[in-house]
Amino acid sequence: MSQLQVKDLQVQFGGLRAVDGMNFDVEKGEIMCLLGPNGAGKSTTLDLICGKTQPTGGSILFQGTEISRMLEFKRARLGIGRKFQVPSVYKDLTVVENLSVARSARPSVLHSLTSRAVRRSARVKEILDIVGLVNKQDEAAGNLSHGETQWLEIAMLIAQDSRLILMDEPTAGMTIQETDRTAKIFRKLSANHTLIVVEHDMSFVRTVADRIIVMNQGKKLAEGSIQEIEANEAVKTAYLGH
Amino acid sequence: MNSRISYDVIGFALFAGVILFGVPAILGYDAFELSTFSRYLSLAIVSMALALSWGTAGLLNLGQAATFGMGSYAMAMHLKLKASGESLPDFMGWNNVDTLPWLWVPFQSLTFTLLAGFLIPAGVGGLIAVFMFRARIAGVFVAIITLAFLVAFQLLVINQQGFTGGQNGLTGLAPLEIFGWVVDIYSVSFYYLVSACLLVALTLGLYLTHSKFGLVLRAIREDPERTRYFGYNVASYETLIFCISAALAGWAGMLYALVLEFASPTYMSVSFSLAIVIWCAVGGRESVLAAAIGAILVNLAEGRLSDVFVEGWHLILGVMFLLVVMFMPRGIYGLIVDAGRALKRQGSRAETVEYNPPDALLSQNRES
Repeated sequence: MSQLQVKDLQVQFGGLRAVDGMNFDVEKGEIMCLLGPNGAGKSTTLDLICGKTQPTGGSILFQGTEISRMLEFKRARLGIGRKFQVPSVYKDLTVVENLSVARSARPSVLHSLTSRAVRRSARVKEILDIVGLVNKQDEAAGNLSHGETQWLEIAMLIAQDSRLILMDEPTAGMTIQETDRTAKIFRKLSANHTLIVVEHDMSFVRTVADRIIVMNQGKKLAEGSIQEIEANEAVKTAYLGH
Repeated sequence: MNSRISYDVIGFALFAGVILFGVPAILGYDAFELSTFSRYLSLAIVSMALALSWGTAGLLNLGQAATFGMGSYAMAMHLKLKASGESLPDFMGWNNVDTLPWLWVPFQSLTFTLLAGFLIPAGVGGLIAVFMFRARIAGVFVAIITLAFLVAFQLLVINQQGFTGGQNGLTGLAPLEIFGWVVDIYSVSFYYLVSACLLVALTLGLYLTHSKFGLVLRAIREDPERTRYFGYNVASYETLIFCISAALAGWAGMLYALVLEFASPTYMSVSFSLAIVIWCAVGGRESVLAAAIGAILVNLAEGRLSDVFVEGWHLILGVMFLLVVMFMPRGIYGLIVDAGRALKRQGSRAETVEYNPPDALLSQNRES
């Protein structure tokens, strides 16, 4: 069974159907990229899966559980993580504190009351090594450079260890080198995690995507490998307007 | 060990030393002066309680005085019943109340009173919190709702004259008696009772702020939305800290009623509630210890200055608050932290640290 099954998903904002009857499955360990012109409903689809937006119809099954009506923190507990378009680290907290918040395998109040704010475990050290922030671990996240902030956010996603990670434009504002590095991290992440990525950078998509879904006006326009998508006439029309 | 923890432990030890030995020595073990100071210490508890909800979680509770008042009334009701002996409390007679109201009956028991002083404020605070935080109310709206509750609650207390003594409050109280010890507020031992309560409250506050619970609250203060996507039930975190804060305020209220030997609806006034905010802001809302010190300092200043400027004192307090908000928004605590950081930076400027790209990962990546 697929890890994530989306069936007839739709959401309506006033008169606008932002997502209109989406159907797709995502397999475990897959990197699925969502493409489409502005306003196609890509981010909204991620919002529906993580619980930021409530659907007006359809269903979302995660590992066989119906989640489309669940509160967002319960979905997170099931193993759905989300990276937003705007970098969202906690600027007042230090780097290790950010990671400690992200390590949320046991999010109950009771567990939090009986554990220390920051535990510098071997795992935390390992994650800091991966993203190269060891020397900055006690720095407030607000003092990091833009690039470092992006790495901290990726570190937080690794620390959170969600089975399904939803990424909204992870390479926005990155240099070419940083984008390459991110692509490599994603390939490594997909060994244990499933990823759904909204991205505009086609070279990035070409490197990471196992499968691509192109959306247009809230509907699925095309689905397939990068070669299939690039050859698809309907996709060309949607993008170029011929 | 985190450096923040060690600084706080040192600060706490210094503070405890000053409160337990320094202050009584300076005041020459004078019972009257010490009783005045124990009033400041009880107010320090309500200030640090506000720092827990406002400073840690970003929930500005302007109704803190309501839960404080509940604690003080709980204590005063018990002492009033004791003072009245077999007969009804005097003010009930004046208001044509002939039997002891059911609300008063359990306060004949000291154990009940001491528990009620915590649990009633915590329960009321929790009830408001559940409704507010499940509806995801945040920011300035929390302040407005709690302020509205405070005003409504004070009105209720004033209007139910037969049950509460109305505008006059509860006066003519008997001294408290615990385990055969009759508490004399003009005694050194009473001062130590209040100090002990403050130190216990501070220990609890420091524990909470240094636990993961406190860390998650700070995360919630910055970005509640993001924190939800890590799986934390933000509403239950907020509700719990609100309850704890209300319980501590109730605790402070009980001590305050003891010190002043009466309970009055002015304890639940808007101006008192705003004064708590000022103490907390002057000391520094990010640290429970700083908030407690802020309460003590402002009240000390009030005690000294209001003798000199009887009418103008509130103006001075207002100017003080404005200056703090404008020039040191993080209070005295913020000044100290910034100064410490500047010193540290000067020391370590020579050894700047370069940012290392994450090569550790790249060498072992999975190419495909």
